[in-house]
Amino acid sequence: MSSPILEARDVYKTYQLGRVDVPVLKGCSMHVNHSEFLAILGSSGSGKSTLMHVLGGLDRTDSGRGDVLHKGSPITGLPERQLNRYRARTIGFVFQFYHLLPELTVLENAMLPGLVPGGIGRNNAKRRARSLLEQFGLSHRLDHRPRELSGGERQRTAIARALVNGPEVLLADEPTGNLDEHTGAEILDLLTEAHRNGLTIVMVTHDRKIADRADRAIRLVDGVLANESP
Amino acid sequence: MYQPLLTSRYLTTRMIPLLAVAAVALCVALVIVVISVMTGFLNMVRSSGQTLMGDVVITYPIRGIPQYDTLIAAIEEHPEIVAATPVVDTWGLLRMPYPEGDAKESEQVQIWGIEPESFSAVTGFSDTLQWDNVPDNVSADVLQDVFDHRSEEVADTVVPLLDEQHRMALLRATYHEELEDDAMVRHLVSIASDRELAQRIGWFLRHGEEHSTVLGAGAIAAMQHLEPRLHDSEQLRRDGLTLTRNGRAAIVPGRHVSKANVRTSTGEYRVAAGGYWWLPRFEGTLTTLPIDSRGGMLEPESVVLPFANEFASGVYLIDQTRVMVPLDVVQRMTHLDEAELVDEDDLTTVVGTSPARATMVLVRGQDGIPATDLRDIVRAAYRSFEAQCDAENLPDSEQPPRLGRDPGLGILTWEEQNASFIGPVEKERELMRTLFSIVYLVCGALIVAIFWAIVYEKTRDIGILRSVGASRSGIVYIFLLYGLFVGVSGAIAGVCLGWLITTNMPTIHDAMSAPPLWLGVSLVSASGLLVIWRGLHWRGCKLLPLLLGILGAVVLGALGIGELMLRQSGGVVLWDPAVYYFTDIPSDVDWASAWITAAAAAVCSVIAAAIPAARAADIDPVGALRYE
Ligand SMILES: Nc1ncnc2c1ncn2[C@@H]1O[C@H](COP(=O)(O)OP(=O)(O)OP(=O)(O)O)[C@@H](O)[C@H]1O
Ligand SMILES: [Mg+2]
Repeated sequence: MSSPILEARDVYKTYQLGRVDVPVLKGCSMHVNHSEFLAILGSSGSGKSTLMHVLGGLDRTDSGRGDVLHKGSPITGLPERQLNRYRARTIGFVFQFYHLLPELTVLENAMLPGLVPGGIGRNNAKRRARSLLEQFGLSHRLDHRPRELSGGERQRTAIARALVNGPEVLLADEPTGNLDEHTGAEILDLLTEAHRNGLTIVMVTHDRKIADRADRAIRLVDGVLANESP
Repeated sequence: MYQPLLTSRYLTTRMIPLLAVAAVALCVALVIVVISVMTGFLNMVRSSGQTLMGDVVITYPIRGIPQYDTLIAAIEEHPEIVAATPVVDTWGLLRMPYPEGDAKESEQVQIWGIEPESFSAVTGFSDTLQWDNVPDNVSADVLQDVFDHRSEEVADTVVPLLDEQHRMALLRATYHEELEDDAMVRHLVSIASDRELAQRIGWFLRHGEEHSTVLGAGAIAAMQHLEPRLHDSEQLRRDGLTLTRNGRAAIVPGRHVSKANVRTSTGEYRVAAGGYWWLPRFEGTLTTLPIDSRGGMLEPESVVLPFANEFASGVYLIDQTRVMVPLDVVQRMTHLDEAELVDEDDLTTVVGTSPARATMVLVRGQDGIPATDLRDIVRAAYRSFEAQCDAENLPDSEQPPRLGRDPGLGILTWEEQNASFIGPVEKERELMRTLFSIVYLVCGALIVAIFWAIVYEKTRDIGILRSVGASRSGIVYIFLLYGLFVGVSGAIAGVCLGWLITTNMPTIHDAMSAPPLWLGVSLVSASGLLVIWRGLHWRGCKLLPLLLGILGAVVLGALGIGELMLRQSGGVVLWDPAVYYFTDIPSDVDWASAWITAAAAAVCSVIAAAIPAARAADIDPVGALRYE
């Protein structure tokens, strides 16, 4: 079996709340295989979002305590510049609350990652964002502002944004948590479709039923992995 | 590059940046206006120096410098010198023609005896004459004067030129009843005296028509000769430049010496009583106390002189007190003219002559030579003048004062001579600069606060940008661009605003002293309309627009009513020439300072933006993204 695309090895993450240490990840080890759809389950506060941020290079682990590896090479010690590039090219984030920029149009929001250093460039970004949005049924919304969209439309825009640079891994943190069942299912279909086209997806969810759609599900309990079910 | 996109969106979708731009623009405009006015003021002081006194002044008050012609020749030998001119200055009283009646007013004046031609070469005197022509509303009075004060002259010179026909026509035109009978007219003509005919000419000129047909070209020409100022458009100016009127030595006083010259609220000058007290119609009596060679006072000297013209240097203090009089007249009045010296014991024995003297010599240098260099040249010339006088073996009484040994003798540049005045103006400008750097600070703090608020508002956006791979420096760049745009557009707007205000300074000033009716009325009606509009739409209206509407109406109404009240009370004169030394407000933009100010404002707002931008870069993306 080839090496996993993402791997966390004995990762610790502690937050400082004033003078009190709040340990969130306490030696968490897990991996994500190539072209896998992995679901992460866990109760609220168990550290799922924190794990996603660490995997996506948005947050650093406690220094010297654990490693995050991308295709076998550690990203935890990378200099800032390369970490920015890693976030731009390798990872796409989808959040529960969409997190679109209110001043930009749908198209501009979707293009945004293409414009940062390491992105695919303005023209490519525009083309790709447009085709993704069309694919997601948003062609009539390109020039709208996010506040004029429904929750489902916003999340589809956010997914288009996450995919515009053609990342290797999509990290989706409760992408359906804010949506009704029907809209959530639509989003899930979208992700499944992307997965079928070869995208690696890591998705956090509370919902056992949603997790069943994944290739594999893992459960976080109190900052460590509980059990893996096939 | 995502930054220009974001910067432009952040700028265009919010009102806050407009506030920041307005703050920068107001600061820049304020500084430009103040500095421009102060600089214009200083420039006026400097250029008025040349206009009034030339570049270098040699002074030796009261006793005066003898042999000044030799001195002037010695000075003018230097190629750097354009001209030099002698002046005798003293203080005296000028008895004015007004008011009507015997109890006339007197003004205290500084009398300058000048040689008009060389004086004009040294100073800008010829550019400062107030009157080019007899004003239209005065010409009837001027004509009247000829017949009132010089009726005998008219009777002698003009009347003989009228033949029988003209006399008859004149009588017909001026007789109190219609005359049909030719024989009757002929009889009346034969018994009319020359004086009577002269009076009839006077009346006819003022009330009748077709002057040349009635009087004939010869008589008209003769009359023009009597009062050339009415017919020769150059005469009044020539009178002023030569200090003469009708061949008599004459006075040219400053514009504000006569209380009859009133500055109107529009900044123009008007002669009181419908032009009646136009000074060049009248004569004045100049009185001064001469001082003898030992410094004692002698009997007052008085002389009656006509007024030839008036001058307006633009420097209020001078226009208010100075009168120009021919040099020889003042020399006689101050006993500084050439005189015989007599033996003290035997007053009939002439022991020598006392040469004519001048209390000042004004020197004008070539343009572009620093005044201090010119001063040194004049000092050198003075020393060679001393040597020349020594060589001629002149008696003591004819020797000039010695440079360095006689403390009364001064050779100074105009600026040195007036240091006590220029100094405070320069200090004032520096004070203004300092005060306005505080304004800058306030403006800078405002920009920091506004940008801080913007960054705070955009915390989540920054987290999002970081999650898609934006670097910390990339985030800083967004806000620096933001600051640059606010700074540059604010600076440009400020320069435009400053330019508008500065160049319209006189208009604004006039509007303040005579607030226009339309402004107050339109402000009040705008306020009324706002109230009506709000009143019609108040149902279902949100609180903020309602509050803004009421506030707007109150502010507009208060402004309008205030303006109308100001108008009622006659306006405020911000720039009173009596207080501000100059009669006009400078209205040229000091562009060098303006651009420096604008550039500084742009740089300052970038620096001000850097503080919140650094904070933006330090925002923890995970924290920013955690909650909705
Ligand atoms: N910046 C922080 N400072 C202090 N504590 C933090 C910080 N971020 C997270 N935590 C704590 O870390 C723990 C794990 O948070 P995390 O968001 O990873 O949980 P989660 O599993 O995603 O929960 P949920 O299902 O509610 O999203 C929580 O108890 C939270 O209070
Ligand atoms: Mg979470």
